[in-house]
Amino acid sequence: MSKTIEQLRQEYGTREKILTIEDLVVKFSLRGEELTAIRQASLDVYKGESLCIVGESGSGKSVLTKSFMGMLDNNGWIDSGSVLYKEEDLAAYRFERQWMQIRGKEIAMIFQDPMTSLNPLRSVGSQIKEAVELHQDLRGEAAREAVYEILENVGIADPVRRYRQYPFEFSGGMRQRVVIAIAMACKPQILVCDEPTTALDVTIQAQILQLLDKLQKMYDLTVIYITHDLGVVAHVADRVAVMYAGDIIEVGLSEEVFYNPQHPYTMNLLSSLPQLGEKGKDLYAIKGTPPNLFKEIHGDAFAPRNSLALKVDFVHRPPYFTVSPTHKAKTWLLDPRAPKVELPSAIKQLRSKWGDDIVAGS
Amino acid sequence: MAKVLKDAAEKIDETLFTFAGYDAKDAERSGYSNYSYWRSTWNVFLKNKMALVILILLATVLAFTFVQPYLPQQKLPTLIHNDPETGFQLRNVPPGKEFILGTNSIGQDLWARLWSGTRTSLFIGFVVGLFEAGIGIAIGAIWGYVRWLDRIITEIYNVWDNIPSTVVLVLMTYILRPSLSTLIIAMCITGWLPMAKLIRNLVLIIRDREYNLASRCLGTPTHRIIVKNILPYLVSVIMMRLALAIPYAIGSEVFLTYIGLGLPVDTPSLGNLVNEGRRLMMAPSMRYQLIFPAIMVSVITISFYILGNAFADASDPRNHV
Amino acid sequence: MPAPEKLLEVKDLSVHFGRGRKKFVAVHKVNFDIFKGETLGLVGESGSGKTTIGRAIVRINPTTDGQILFKGRCISGRIARELDREVTQKIQMIFQDPMASLNERAKVDYIVSEGLYNTKNYTCEEERKEKVTKALLSVGLLPEFATRFPHEFSGGQRQRIGVARSLVMNPELIIADEPISALDVSIRAQVINLMNQLKKDLGLTYLFIAHDLSVVRFISDRVAVIHLGQIVELADTEELYENPVHPYTKGLLSAIPVPNPRVERKRQIHAYDPSMHKYAENPPKWMEIAPRHFVLANEEEMEGYRQNYNHHAKDAI
Repeated sequence: MSKTIEQLRQEYGTREKILTIEDLVVKFSLRGEELTAIRQASLDVYKGESLCIVGESGSGKSVLTKSFMGMLDNNGWIDSGSVLYKEEDLAAYRFERQWMQIRGKEIAMIFQDPMTSLNPLRSVGSQIKEAVELHQDLRGEAAREAVYEILENVGIADPVRRYRQYPFEFSGGMRQRVVIAIAMACKPQILVCDEPTTALDVTIQAQILQLLDKLQKMYDLTVIYITHDLGVVAHVADRVAVMYAGDIIEVGLSEEVFYNPQHPYTMNLLSSLPQLGEKGKDLYAIKGTPPNLFKEIHGDAFAPRNSLALKVDFVHRPPYFTVSPTHKAKTWLLDPRAPKVELPSAIKQLRSKWGDDIVAGS
Repeated sequence: MAKVLKDAAEKIDETLFTFAGYDAKDAERSGYSNYSYWRSTWNVFLKNKMALVILILLATVLAFTFVQPYLPQQKLPTLIHNDPETGFQLRNVPPGKEFILGTNSIGQDLWARLWSGTRTSLFIGFVVGLFEAGIGIAIGAIWGYVRWLDRIITEIYNVWDNIPSTVVLVLMTYILRPSLSTLIIAMCITGWLPMAKLIRNLVLIIRDREYNLASRCLGTPTHRIIVKNILPYLVSVIMMRLALAIPYAIGSEVFLTYIGLGLPVDTPSLGNLVNEGRRLMMAPSMRYQLIFPAIMVSVITISFYILGNAFADASDPRNHV
Repeated sequence: MPAPEKLLEVKDLSVHFGRGRKKFVAVHKVNFDIFKGETLGLVGESGSGKTTIGRAIVRINPTTDGQILFKGRCISGRIARELDREVTQKIQMIFQDPMASLNERAKVDYIVSEGLYNTKNYTCEEERKEKVTKALLSVGLLPEFATRFPHEFSGGQRQRIGVARSLVMNPELIIADEPISALDVSIRAQVINLMNQLKKDLGLTYLFIAHDLSVVRFISDRVAVIHLGQIVELADTEELYENPVHPYTKGLLSAIPVPNPRVERKRQIHAYDPSMHKYAENPPKWMEIAPRHFVLANEEEMEGYRQNYNHHAKDAI
């Protein structure tokens, strides 16, 4: 049996924070209008954990990570808030040379499509070697040996032959391994994986996730996954942060978010999954579409789509309510004055079978 | 459950903590963007100040070209002015009060000739440009979309394209008598080729996009797919080509007239004016006869080029940020 | 139970692309039937040929060999104009990417009416508008959307416009090619529900092509698993998920992530290695291992599968 929920909560109490995002606001100027992509989001990232940021397209999950890597597009900027990493405020960085000290070296990133980060005209080995030379200060034969080792670590057999091959000679899964190898060659503290398996088939996806898991343990990495696939989340996450309309509306241990969701959006999202649906009956469907971020959002951004919205949701923005030391959510439903709301049946079933201990004792 | 409330939260009215009810229609309306392709294109274009200035300049020139003959005290472009006292032709009178831009070597008013010439040249430009666009788009679209025609049209194109257009033009002008229509026909015969090729390549790129497959699944006939699905996506490219085809046609006219294959000498056109001016180029006092038409040719061609490019940039959705 | 009517029969279908040395076999001798009123799931990884089969049925891709029968009449290869018109109307397709499958420069009204214009299936302008309104309402969109352009809508709404476009044709069979994989998680349920709803209300039949096995399990009555252009297993949905026989199916099933952390962390993955088959000397055949449960195997393998299967079935009891 793995650790109990209490053990996990205690363990988090002693963990060291590696990255602290506070009240971050990121804006973009698009077609002459201003779009608020991140609306005062706050998030702590602990050393050595794997954190999943879940959200749909446009929820700002990619923008959030790009904002602390200096990778925002030219028409985007950090409007206010702070991102603390090793006592430095990354939100105050203005120049490319400042980011050069962070990007790759401290925080590396893997993208959905491996081809976007590989140079098709250079051999795979030379691309990894470049990263090794830049970040590990090795030269010549020593660098080459290091590349062989990394290639083997990411599960690419016959590294001597593979070293000389070009990206097009690799399959999709193998390319993703190469991209991971380049990221690892920089010896980063934090690895951000943006939809690392979305473009891959399920069988390959499982292998890549296994690899990332192995590397995390090997190098004591902090891994931030960005994904919309809740199956992947359940597989890899220690903690889950749910994003909606540019804000983190719920964050907690994976067990807490899956078995005891608090925000209506999280509940709805989980109960709309076909895996939890009952065949022959309708799935729970979230109505409508995510809000338009060009407009100012009042209250809870999810309110217009929420069939159980309170009147207050349309007026005031909810603060974080603490559910457990590791679990908090931004919803007025947690206010003592709010009426009691039944959990959707799909989640009730999931909890009664797997996660009764999550709520026990509260 | 332990709960931490912020101070602000406690001031909120108790009555707000009731269910709000739910409107499915509102939820359905929530996600709109109000992006409009043409509005964005126009907005991006407006940001290009240089292009805007040129647009105004060109519009003014074009407008004046058509208004000029109806203004008071304008002279006829072909009328030869004589000195009432001596009866001699008023040759090569420098720009002044009577003749704003002076007169030419047989005493015609250069101001009137310049505008008349611009009119002729613009007429040639627009007719040839529109013809090129019409034929080029029609043939290019069929060429690119209908697969089994691709080989045949490609072969025809290769043969046609390998005949130097100057040779065709020379032959044409020798067979037919030099006149405005001869010139236009000659230029049209070869002019549509690059347009057709361009359209064909673009159609090839988008013909198998999913929305076209969808139309085929619905049984939409080929001609409607081309008109409704494909050409609207090419509007920006077509507009740019058109904007470039007009100055190109004007330039060709100038060139052909200059080498003696173009319009008859008695029809004022920018080509003829430049040609006349060229003969007097060596005499500094008469150089104005070359300079004014040359300025007009330059202004028109450069303006069209710049506008065409600015429009192409603006109509590219990637620039709509 | 009376024998259900076969709406579509696919017989020994092969599709090759290119010629000579560049020849690529996308689909190889595929057989399956689709019964009236059912949803047949076609599951496979990228490059398995599942999309090619769907497109062969709607006749966007030409077939190389074999036949496709619709209500007993051959619709592959060259067919009469009359039949062509009928099939175009009766078999419709829903595409994967709602961002790419709608004409961005046409209004929703035109997009939805496109099929009507083609079949002249209306007497006057008013009737056409009425039909468009009805189609939009039936997919949960507001009639006022007809005057707008596709780029004003979100992915889920656009996909529903795509569904409305095929509904105006009054189709009998809909080929849904990964209709939800490009959509956001919160939107997927809308489209799945809509498809099930329409199936009930209009008696539609679906070929549901997907790579996501959990969605297929939810929506399909029967499931066919396709691997490298060949269908390796076909059975009723629950039968296939409970008693998978072919090692590829087993591997695929074991690889689906489940949204449940405590289950997911313990999940074991069976890797599939195609070299385990000794098909060179003993080629495989399409055989029935249990009623309505088919698998691609040679005799030798079949024996092993049978033994395992009986074991498993006993355990289940």
